[in-house]
Amino acid sequence: MARYIIRRTLETLPVLFGASVLVFLIVHLIPGGPESVLLGERVSEENVRQLRERLGLDRPLPEQYLIYMSNVLQGDLGNSIAGNVPIINELRQRFPATVELTICALAIAVGVGVPLGVVSAVRRGSWIDTGTMIGAMVGISMPIFWLGLLLLWIFGVQLNLLPFIGRLSPNVVIETRTGLHTVDAILSGNWSALGDAIIHLILPAITLSTVPIALIARITRSAMLEVLHMDYVRTARAKGLHERVVIREHALRNALLPVVTVIGLSLGGLLSGAVLTETIFSWPGMGRWLFNSIQGRDYPIVQSITLIVTFLFVGVNLVVDLSYAWLNPRIRYE
Amino acid sequence: MSKRLGLLLAVALALTMIAPASAQEPVTFIWGSYGDPVQLYAAVVTDGVSFNVVNQGCEALLAFDGSTTNVIPSLATELTANEDATVWTAKLREGVTFQDGTPFNADAVVFNFEAWRFTDNPYHWEANFFEYYDNMFGGFDDASLITSVEAVDDYTVQFNLSDSYAAMPNTLAMPMFQINSPTAIQEHGDLYGTPEVGYVCTGPYRFVEWIPDDHVTMDLWDGYWGEVEGNIERIIYQVIPDNAARFAAIQAGAIHFMENASPEEQAIIESDPNLYMMLRPSLNVLYLAFNYRIEQFRDPLVREAISLAINRQAYADTFFVSAEVANTYTPPMLWGYNPDVPMPEYDPDRAVELLAEAGYPDGFSEVDVLALNEDGTCCTDEVEETIPLTLYWQPVTRPYNPDGEGLGQAEAADLAAVGLEVQLDNGGDWASFLDLGRRGQLLGLYNLGWTGDSGDPDNFSGYFFSQCNQATQGYFDFPEVCGLLTRAKTLTTIEEREPLYQQADALLAEYNGRLAIAHGQVPLVIRSNVTGWVPNPLGTELVRFVSIE
Repeated sequence: MARYIIRRTLETLPVLFGASVLVFLIVHLIPGGPESVLLGERVSEENVRQLRERLGLDRPLPEQYLIYMSNVLQGDLGNSIAGNVPIINELRQRFPATVELTICALAIAVGVGVPLGVVSAVRRGSWIDTGTMIGAMVGISMPIFWLGLLLLWIFGVQLNLLPFIGRLSPNVVIETRTGLHTVDAILSGNWSALGDAIIHLILPAITLSTVPIALIARITRSAMLEVLHMDYVRTARAKGLHERVVIREHALRNALLPVVTVIGLSLGGLLSGAVLTETIFSWPGMGRWLFNSIQGRDYPIVQSITLIVTFLFVGVNLVVDLSYAWLNPRIRYE
Repeated sequence: MSKRLGLLLAVALALTMIAPASAQEPVTFIWGSYGDPVQLYAAVVTDGVSFNVVNQGCEALLAFDGSTTNVIPSLATELTANEDATVWTAKLREGVTFQDGTPFNADAVVFNFEAWRFTDNPYHWEANFFEYYDNMFGGFDDASLITSVEAVDDYTVQFNLSDSYAAMPNTLAMPMFQINSPTAIQEHGDLYGTPEVGYVCTGPYRFVEWIPDDHVTMDLWDGYWGEVEGNIERIIYQVIPDNAARFAAIQAGAIHFMENASPEEQAIIESDPNLYMMLRPSLNVLYLAFNYRIEQFRDPLVREAISLAINRQAYADTFFVSAEVANTYTPPMLWGYNPDVPMPEYDPDRAVELLAEAGYPDGFSEVDVLALNEDGTCCTDEVEETIPLTLYWQPVTRPYNPDGEGLGQAEAADLAAVGLEVQLDNGGDWASFLDLGRRGQLLGLYNLGWTGDSGDPDNFSGYFFSQCNQATQGYFDFPEVCGLLTRAKTLTTIEEREPLYQQADALLAEYNGRLAIAHGQVPLVIRSNVTGWVPNPLGTELVRFVSIE
């Protein structure tokens, strides 16, 4: 197992290198540069020349790449082009915002999606099954911005029940320790701030969870349908075990492998940020940051976020692979 | 599951009720901002959001007065020029300190200007571009119009210029030339203005906190030299990038103020007793430009036909909450505007006639691109290629163009009605659109615009057309206009300068070199309990005059 983990970790290095080269090339090859955005309508050839020189963009691409990577290897992600803000400082604020929202959304997705999938499979052909599958189809198809705005309008404006802007209400202050507001509020015993942080999470987390709920429900259902016909499930029933135990211990556990894969992929995707949800709910996370940086051609930010997201994806995949052995002890890592 | 969620919600709501037994919350004004500031050191930024923030806490030597572009004293009590406007002397306000306790005096002013001007100054950082200094004063180092800034005594500063510059008072009132604390700049180096540091200036609100893409907080500073007429003790710039969410936020009372309502939202505002709308006077222009590498656009008859084919009034009515059709580049609120230039007509029948006269009785859907000269200037007589007639619409929202795509479609329909079949293109995105424009590659018609920064016409038509013998965007060069605008720069009184700007605009309109379309007014949405808001054409709107009832 240890050898497997080391091997997989080492395998991430070429992936990271490949991703960094690819992203570097792509962002530099798309038309327009940061100088165009920074100078806006008043752009002139002389201004552009000066700015490119100042930003080091007049150097050959391989040289720019080497400078960037040597800084990254020394732990320096550089500064943003637009505001000259150290990227690492901004990352410290944005990443926890994304993590907190992701965990909440995924908790909702798993908490709702898995039971729905199980019930659908067990009651195959019933109205619950039909309703769940229609709901899953709607969940996958529904535009996120539409759902987000609808929830915002109903619960935020009409009922005035839930906040829909940012992570905290104005004038609510939490001492930052981890950057996760809920955790920081608990650590500092600030209960009113904890409540404020939780109610700010509700609408964006629900919006963000709809697609994963649908995916998880569908995958759980099909995996369960497969295992429910297996001999060992029939045997468990023949032994007189309670149906609930049969479903939970014998069927669900064996059906979880594909579900865990989907959860892992969803986690990786969500950690890279959710542009639409973050934009609608003014959530200062990674997705909007990346999106704005691509629009502004802020190369150092785009490259840094991509590297981090690649790393996260690879890490999550590794964890998912390792969880297979726990779920199914017959799987061995060579 | 639903019970558990309900319970969680109930607990969370209950927790929020546990208010800490703290002092009363400050009177807080929440500004719903469409974007995050780029930087809070005004000398290195160009975006409106950054200026919205720093304007509350930083001051320039002069300021813009209320809802006008007239300048009034601020950190300087007086600014006088010699006869030919090459030496400007500023008397500084005494008894002013920066928010960190550093005294404001002539040395502080000299420190700021030298940091902006000299590229080898330790505070003229490589990582930042002092674009507005470059732009307004013609360059850095020896290229700078300002040849020296001298501290005559503790409270007198003299600006020596290499040439006459009548627009100096308006330029010195621009937020980009706000005076920042030398101590803070020296202490923080190139981190000055970033979220960790913020700004340190002389204004009424001091920087407290900036959480990127979330909010900026500023608190009332009790050491301010001037008077704070409103009752706001704290300002929060809350970033709400989505237009619909921002409007929902002001309806729900979560923010007090926002810019840029849409025409659809106007009716809702009018029927909501909790909201009201004000219009920011227009200091911008939206135009339709020609690329002069296209042979057909070099024909005055074709340009006139296109001018007659587009329905400017319909665009102003449809895409803006409020806008007036433009007869000239310069907007009516700015001195130098020429009211005698006739309003452009909408006459598609006449457009068809003109096209026929120009040799295109059936219109055209393809155009000829002329080859460039060897030095890159435009153009030889040789046709390099024939391409589809293209109209590039702006892939970004601007005060002068709230709906780039909609406008492009409307213009395309109008042009099609006179036989000009255009393809629509957005150039990719804003960055690539600008890049294509700069390189003369928007080969066709394209929409662009301009928002003035200083309230002087030299920063308007002067900005675009006063670089003689240098073709600007779309290879457009107009030496006669350039001569007028260059001369206007060197004269010292408005009485002498105004006719020259008026004449330049009249020539531009007659030539149909670029077609001015509209001057848009930015709609400002405000909660009914907020009073004292003064819209300013330059956007320098100060919360210190505002109260929440």
